[in-house]
Amino acid sequence: MTLTVVNNATCTFCGCVCDDIELHADEIKIHKAKKACVLGTAWFLNHTAERKYPDALIDGKEATLDEAIEAAATYLHEADMPLVYGMSNTTCEAQRECVALADLLGGLLDSHTSL
Amino acid sequence: MPKSKFLPRGRKDRTAVLVDIRPTKSAKACDIFLQVRPGKDFELITILRALIKDQKVSEEAVAETGVSLEQCNDLVDRMKKAKFGCMFFGMGLSMTRGKHMNSAALLTLATEMNAFTKFVAMPMRGHGNVTGADVVMRWQTGYPFGITFNRGYPRYNPGEFSTVDVLVRGDTDAAFIIGADPGATMPQPAIDHLARIPTIVLDPHITHTSKLSRVHITTSVAGISAPGTAYRMDEIPLPLKPALKSPYPTDEEVVRRIKDAIAKKRFWMPEGEQMITAQI
Ligand code: SF4
Repeated sequence: MTLTVVNNATCTFCGCVCDDIELHADEIKIHKAKKACVLGTAWFLNHTAERKYPDALIDGKEATLDEAIEAAATYLHEADMPLVYGMSNTTCEAQRECVALADLLGGLLDSHTSL
Repeated sequence: MPKSKFLPRGRKDRTAVLVDIRPTKSAKACDIFLQVRPGKDFELITILRALIKDQKVSEEAVAETGVSLEQCNDLVDRMKKAKFGCMFFGMGLSMTRGKHMNSAALLTLATEMNAFTKFVAMPMRGHGNVTGADVVMRWQTGYPFGITFNRGYPRYNPGEFSTVDVLVRGDTDAAFIIGADPGATMPQPAIDHLARIPTIVLDPHITHTSKLSRVHITTSVAGISAPGTAYRMDEIPLPLKPALKSPYPTDEEVVRRIKDAIAKKRFWMPEGEQMITAQI
């Protein structure tokens, strides 16, 4: 089986964000992460493209993405002081949306930095 | 450590000083180790700030920090002689007695060192793209974290608007958690409050926080199956090159859809509208 090679891939497991990783992957998983450190290799190799979890959960029960989005929007809209928190294991593009979300809600916005 | 034009001998041309409450593995990798007494960081930094300006400091005050005056003077001497100094700091400084005041003191020390030589300070980062969060929030609101929009414009006050404090006090009545697992890392009173209020989690896995949340949405993994940008610790943005295709949507897409769904509802203030509208 041939593996696709991704050159100069970026690892976001730690703050160093190495950008010289060579990934060998098939459709489902990454088989090799050259030049990554122990932590980075484990991170790359442990993730798969399988459908391991349900799309969404509401009160612990499986739900569709649309239902979950509507439920989330309702909860946040009804709150007087909603909090938007986290944003470390995600992209800048998603973070930008989070800022807009907090602004739209008139809520709190905070990241791991405050820890 | 890389060799460079100005530091041709690499590591040998650099001096690494470690300040910690106990000797760790890093101590062996450093040239000098200073053992500070727990909770005395602010005092030590303040003494250094006095010493760089040739102010007198009392022997007792120095002795209380666990570091000797001799060691302090030697450090100040080396700092002034350095061509380019960098102070790295982590949660040992920002989460112990004094909290963000410790970080503020260190940043002031770095600022004041610039009267003598080039000096910077940089927070050490754990997981992933925390730096990106700082940068994006600074770009959009002017502040790096601990922000509230409750007057319709951004205000900043760590301690008042920072998450742990808000949760422990039980102030907030809904939480939206993305790319983090506070259910595993925060103090118990904060976790209890997250379980009490409606919590919404976006994560590639079912996390501790997902288990106590009302809504969990599975998303793709940034850098593995989701494209985008991440900031390195020294604030260099780098593109992500996902090697896999995920069956799940990206964080960006889900947050945007939640935001759009809320935008259809009535705005929370009687008048006015969202300040930061969509950016391209
Ligand atoms: S490869 Fe290792 S050092 Fe580099 S970003 Fe990943 S975890 Fe950090």
